Formats: sequence, C-alpha cells, structure tokens
Amino acid sequence: MKLGRRQVTLGLMSLPFASPRQALAQTAAAQSGLLPPEAVLSQWYRLVLELVRHTATYSPPVASRAFAYLGITAYEVAASSPATGLRSLAGQLHGLTPPPACDPALSYAMPAMLHGAMAAAVMAFFGNTGPTGQRAMAAMDRILGEQVAKDTDPATLARSRDQGAAVAQHMLDWSLGDGGATVVNMGFPYDYPPPQSAADWVPTSLIAVQQTPLLPDWGRNRPFAMPAGQPACGLTLTIPYSAEPESAFYQQAAEVVAIKAALTDEQKLIARFWSDDPMLSPTPPGHWISIAMAILDRDAADLATWADVLARLGITIADAFIACWQTKYDVNLLRPVTYIRQVMGETKWEPLLNTPPFPEFPSGHSSQSGAAAAVLTAIWGEGFAFDDATHADDGLPVRHFPSFAAAAEEAALSRLYGGIHFREGVEAGLAQGRCVGAYTVALQTRV
Amino acid sequence: MRLIVLALCLLPHSLQAQTPAPAIPRFADESATAGLTGFYAGEWQYMVGGGVAVFDCNADGFEDMLIAGGENPAMFYRNVSQQGGPLQFRQETAGLEADAVTGAYPLDIDADGLTDLALLRVGENRLMRGLGNCRFAPANADWGFDGGDDWSTAFAATWEKGASWPTLAFGSYIDRTQEAFPWGSCTPNQLYRGGDGRFAAPLALTPGHCALSMLFTDWNRSGQPALRVSNDREYYKGGQEQLWQLDPGAAPVLMTEADGWKRLRLWGMGIASHDVTGDGYPDYYLTSMADNKLQTLESTTAPVRPGYADTAFARGVTAHRPYTGGDLRPSTGWHAQFGDVNNDGLFDLFVAKGNVANMPDFALLDPNNLLLQQADGTFQEVGEAAGVDSMAIARGGQLADFNMDGLLDIVVVNRWQTAQLWRNISEDAGGFAAFRLQQPGPNRDAIGAWVSVRRGDTVTRHEVTVGGGHVSGQLGWVHFGLGTSTAAEVRVEWPGGRVDDWQPLLADTFQILAPGQAPVAFIAP
Repeated sequence: MKLGRRQVTLGLMSLPFASPRQALAQTAAAQSGLLPPEAVLSQWYRLVLELVRHTATYSPPVASRAFAYLGITAYEVAASSPATGLRSLAGQLHGLTPPPACDPALSYAMPAMLHGAMAAAVMAFFGNTGPTGQRAMAAMDRILGEQVAKDTDPATLARSRDQGAAVAQHMLDWSLGDGGATVVNMGFPYDYPPPQSAADWVPTSLIAVQQTPLLPDWGRNRPFAMPAGQPACGLTLTIPYSAEPESAFYQQAAEVVAIKAALTDEQKLIARFWSDDPMLSPTPPGHWISIAMAILDRDAADLATWADVLARLGITIADAFIACWQTKYDVNLLRPVTYIRQVMGETKWEPLLNTPPFPEFPSGHSSQSGAAAAVLTAIWGEGFAFDDATHADDGLPVRHFPSFAAAAEEAALSRLYGGIHFREGVEAGLAQGRCVGAYTVALQTRV
Repeated sequence: MRLIVLALCLLPHSLQAQTPAPAIPRFADESATAGLTGFYAGEWQYMVGGGVAVFDCNADGFEDMLIAGGENPAMFYRNVSQQGGPLQFRQETAGLEADAVTGAYPLDIDADGLTDLALLRVGENRLMRGLGNCRFAPANADWGFDGGDDWSTAFAATWEKGASWPTLAFGSYIDRTQEAFPWGSCTPNQLYRGGDGRFAAPLALTPGHCALSMLFTDWNRSGQPALRVSNDREYYKGGQEQLWQLDPGAAPVLMTEADGWKRLRLWGMGIASHDVTGDGYPDYYLTSMADNKLQTLESTTAPVRPGYADTAFARGVTAHRPYTGGDLRPSTGWHAQFGDVNNDGLFDLFVAKGNVANMPDFALLDPNNLLLQQADGTFQEVGEAAGVDSMAIARGGQLADFNMDGLLDIVVVNRWQTAQLWRNISEDAGGFAAFRLQQPGPNRDAIGAWVSVRRGDTVTRHEVTVGGGHVSGQLGWVHFGLGTSTAAEVRVEWPGGRVDDWQPLLADTFQILAPGQAPVAFIAP
C-alpha cells in the first residue's frame, strides 16, 4: 500500500472541544484541503452520540454494541496503514476475520477511507433512526465527503471510499451473528415469565411497554474480547434476599431510603450527571465515549490513538453489558423501589431517578464504567485528570475528575444516590467491570 | 334557512331513550362523499403539524373547517350538511389558502363577533381577520402582529384579567437551518400581549423546548390560566414539560420543582384536557410515542401544587400499541381530545395515530384510538368496533358535531393521505346539550370559562379553551352527553370570576349561554 499525501498529515489539525454544530462548522470552514483523518472520526462520532440519543432502539446495551463495532471498523481502517503502527484485531476478537486488504500496488487516502467506512457503518447501525437522523447522516456524508475530496484525484478518492466501505461491510457481516442485531419492540419482549419468588424482579414502570424487562437475552450475545461460551466475570449475590428487618438485605434497602432522605445538592447533581437516560442522553456507553473524545480532542491525539481508544473503549463497554446482563438475568433481583414499598411499607417512596426497567443486580452503569476506567487507565495512565462536559448542552455543569477510576466510582455511587440500586449492586458492578476491562487491556493493538 | 332548534322526535338518541347500558358508538366513514380532498403534504419540515381548525364562519351553527396543507395551500371547506344528514363540505376560496401552514386555531381576536384565525406556518405566522360569510383577510399589519420566521407547531390563546386584547402563545420547533446537528436547536416560543387593537412585540418564552402543543388552562382553579407546554424530547437538551405562570402585566415565570412542578420528559405531541376525575380540576392527556400520559393532580389540598401523577396505566389509556391490524410495534400519538361520543355523560378520548415517517421501530399500521370512558373511570378501546380504526398516517383532528344531530363526528388530517371524516351514526346514544358561550367585552366567546352540567348527583365539568391538541383547534359548540337523564342543569363559571346559578338546560338542543341569563335555543339567522 502506498501512502496518500494526507496519510502523513496526521495530527496537523485538531478541533477544540466544541458543540457538534460548532465543530462541524469549524471543520467545514477551516479546511484548506487538508482534513485530518482523526477529524473525520471525530465528526462522525459526534453525530453518533446524537443518533444514539435519538434512535428509539438505542438502550444502553444496544448502544454499547454499536460503539464496539464502529470503533473496530475505524480501527481496522486505520490499521490498514502501516504508518499508524496499529495491529489488526482480527484473530483477537471472537469471530473477527481479517478485513479486505488494500491493494499494495495502489494508493489510498486515509480520510476518504475512514469517511467511507464510517458513512457505511453509521448508516447501517442507525438505519432505523427517524427522519431527522436520516437527514443528519446524509448531511454529514455530503459535508465530510466534500472535505475529504479536496486535493484528491477522483480515482484515489473513489478507491479509498470503496475500501473503507468494504471494511465496514466486513464488520457488519460479522456483527450479524452475535445475537444482538435484531431489537424488537424497543427491546421489551412481548411475553415474559412472571416472578417465581419474592426476590424476583417485577415491573416498576407505568409505561405499558416496560412491563417486561429490557433485552433479557442480551447476556447470551457473543462477546468481543472476554471469553466466550462461558460466564465471564460473573457475580453472585453475597447479601441474599430477605424480608427480615434484621437482615443485611433489609439494611441495604434502609440505606437507600436513608440516603434519599438526606440527599445533598451535590449528591443530587451526581445522580443526574450520571443518569444518562436513554433517549435523553447518549446513554452510559456514550457518556464514556464522550469523555474519551474530549480528551482526544484536547490533546490533539493522532489517528492511531483515536482508533485505539475508540475501539478498545467500545469493546470493553460492550463486553461489560454482556457480562452484566448475564448476571442480571441469572440473579433476577428486584429493584429498591419494589422492596421499599412492598416489604418496608413505604408505599409512596420514590427514587430520585427513574428506575430502569430490568433487574437490579449488578448495576449496569457501574459495570461498564468499571470496564471503561480500566481500559482508559491502561491507555492514559493512573491519575489522569480530565474534565467531563458531556451534559453541558443539557445544562449540567462540567465535572472534574482526578482519574478514570474516580469517575467510575462516582458513576457507580450515583445509582445509589438515585435510589435505583443497592450498595452491593454498584460495588459488585464496578468489580465486574474491572474484570471485563482486563480482557480488553490484554488485546494487542500495537505492532 | 335551516332550523336548528331540535324537536325530540327528530333525534335518534332523545332523552326519551332509557337505555342504561354503555353504548359503543358507530361511525360511518364519509370521507369519500363529504367533499374533503385536502391532505397534509411535505417532507421533513412537515413531519409534524397537519392540523385542522373547526369553526362557524357564517353563523349558521354548522361548523366549517380549514385543513392545513403543509407544502400545499391550506384548504377551506364550508359545511353544507343538512341537519342530521350526511356530512357535506364544499371547498371554497376564503382567503386562507396560504402555503406552509402546519395548523390553525380559531378565535375572535377583535371581539367583533366574527371568527378570526391564527395560521401556524413554517415561516411567518399569520393572523386572519374574519370578514363574515367565511371570508378572511390578513391582519398582521393592522394588528401589529410580528409573525416571525419560525417553524411553528403549537398555539394557545387566553384573555388575561383586565386585558382588552387576547394573549397569544405561539410554540415553535427546531431551527430548520440546522442540518447535521439540529438537536438542541429548539427556538423560543413567543408570547404576544397587546391592547388598543394591536399586539406589542412578542416576549420570548425562553427556554423553548420544541413545543408541539400548548394550552392556557386554569390548572389550579385560581381563576388565572397558566400556559401548559408539551415538548418533544427528541430535540431539546435540558428540556422538559413546562408550565408558565402568567400574572397580568408581568413577565411569564416558569414553574419549577420548588413550586411543586415535577419534571417530565416525553415526546410530547398533543394535550387534551378535561376534568376526568371529577375533582373539579382539569386533567391532562399527553400524547407521545408509546408513552402517553394521563396526568391528575397528586393533591387538591390547598395550596394546590402542580405535581401530577400518571394515571394512564390505571385508567387504561396508555394506547401504546395498535389494538388491531397485526402491527405490534409501539404507537405514535398526535392529536388527542376528550368528548362524549356516545352521550352517556362521560367524556371519552380520541387519539389520532400515525408513524412519523416510516420509522421502522414504530407501528406503520397504527389505528386511531377511541377510548370510551366507563362508569368506574377506566376506558375501553372501541376504535375498531366504532369504525374509526384508520391506518392512515394521522396528525391533527377534531371531534365536532358537523351535522348538528347531537352526536360528535370526527375529522382527522393525515400526512400524505386525504383527510378522513366520520359521521357518528349511533342509534343508541344518550341525550345531549350543546352550548355556545357569549359575553360582552373583549373575550366574546368566554375562553377560560368552565361549563358544568349536573345530572342528579353527577357533575361534569369542562374548561373552554383555545389551544392544545396537535395544531388543531375549535371554536364552536361545547358538547355534553346527558345519558338517560330526563332533567339536567347547567352552570357557567365565567372568566373573571362570575359564577351563574344552576339552571335547567334545554336537553337535546343547541343553546346560547350568556352571563345571568337562561339558556336560549340557537336559531340560525
């Protein structure tokens, strides 16, 4: 493979962290023919964060899956250039075979390859989004397409886009067999067995479609980096269900009540900051992608770093949701609101946050945050401080964290403050996430 | 001249009927024969909207209509139905044939007794002055109205205490110039106040959260309506449903959690209001996607705070999924309206349904809902049995008695498909009473009044409003079913605080109510 001219311009330009509209305008206005490939990634990912928020099927597990495949797609395109020093993940991830290779006799333009790949992949994963999302994807394709075409001969441009699209198609074909490709009724089965014991999960929502739990089979999906075919990073309850007031379980619930009753403004803010509700945010997976993108932007990271971070972060979050969902439906534990109302007799008790419509143990946000922190710490190190402005557009303040681990711990605690998890659920979730993250960290990404 | 005072023997549902059992209404689809050809056209900028305004512009008692056309011109239809007969409309040029109309609301802005119209548009909104006999003329310049350049998708009007001129609220959607990142670009809603025959410059109701329905409503029965706004969470960031308090002469104030307002975020598309619970306070049905709400006050203990409980699930009005047609995907609700379609004395609920635009995760075959209220306060879906289970892509609509037979008919505006009109042909419905309120002064139609009908120990209350629904409004008869009651009374709580005494109503009759006066049967001029 010959290097196109823009393949050696990595890192020449990096956009400051800005709102998506501002960033796109800067991209369009500031280019003088040189569009860095990481800018292509950045813009598509900014749109993906919006599409996750605005596509009805994108619950957190579904979002995690999309982030994994999108990240791997971008990574494999980047890895096709020896200049990046990236090592293909083919053979390292379950079921991933080598993607179509570039013709070594021909030249390719990396921005166009990435654009071709992302356009194809994003439009496939979000093909079910609404008319505004469709319009936005078309606009992004057109605007970035014009940018990557500058100063590139038509033959190279077309070849590069086609090559990117071919890699994307390879990933899409691979994705179809993982068990998560089809989401029906927004993830809520039409039928579900009733609870068998007092400890079992029961619906907590007044929304009719949420009378069955979300994606009960998600834990059977093919994982990416963690072991397949056996429960990986599984958990068991150490505090068994009991309705006895003296029991540890009862005391856990009492702690949830006590915390709710004494919530400080800071704790309320923390709960809402990490609430990451589907349809109202980029979801918990998108929150961590947003964190990573802000750092990549801030530090003007090169393409290899962008691709490595987005791929491994996507992989580990997706694996965390698979592991977490496996445990959730093995244990099938009721939510605090159910126990507090039915067992403790506080019939009008309400949590600060909306209780998610699926079993409690462990906390999904905690699990995926633990995994994300493990991977990002492996990439950027312990004590890596950063600012998190994910929800600035929603009017929530920027939060500063001294490390990824600190952020993950706060995310986990937020579910306790929010009244939607017991303490064991959040602490075990974090541990599960760290376990999952270790498998991702073990991937070989550099030649 | 058509005589409108009805003799009992002419009515299929007279008070002489003693049928006690709940009756499933029957509707005949007269879309093909009634003369309506209009539909709501257009692509992205018209994915929402598609309203209909229903009003009587020639004072014959029969309600005419204007259908929003989107990219097509709006279409006016004169009602030429005969009393009790098939529905018949004739398209005419009325001066309302603007393009880019998303919806319309009738009201008498200048209190001249002639219905005016607010046209909501993608672009400049227009106020149209009624000239009589269903002719209208642009009035923006004469009334000092700055129509702006927004994508308007909601409207409400009220007469604030002491005001000589109405207060109008226009709700708007997203900044349509944003292409790749339109989310978070909701434009501010606008509040217009005025006096001396003109509107002042609008006040921006900031923040705007992409309103798809607004309603001035006296939620706490204080006598001072507040502005309820239902917003589309698809596009706002940091947004939620809103309630603006309006003190006369003061800037609107957004109610917060400190006031008792409970944060709610949904794909808000339409508001219907009625005192469903019978507690004297309005309840609100909010349409959304698979997540419709019926909000009732959590507590009516003074001081009443705006905390609402969702009772949709308990009352059986979630309407979250098609009930027929085999498509099990979640539903998309738009216009909603309470009305007693079987005249049993209980207000029922109609919800217009339709996919946004081929969204594959939501039902494409999404029938309208007709939910009959039952004696225990729950609702029963009868859309299929009643014959209104259309699978067309519905948006706006209205319940109105178009042929003045004492039965509510239904009109629905569809996206890309011809509007539909159903005549209520129920034979076992109860009796009815229909009222128009008239009072001297600027608020001629007594917008904001509460009309109550008492049958024995049962009191049914309804607030007279301009706004709500999905870009669809009505200025016409306020319809009550009387069931099998042989005697009933009516009382009006007029805007401004005057409360008339209970007085016998004229059953099975269209009648005019004025302050301090007995009901007068309506006779066409």
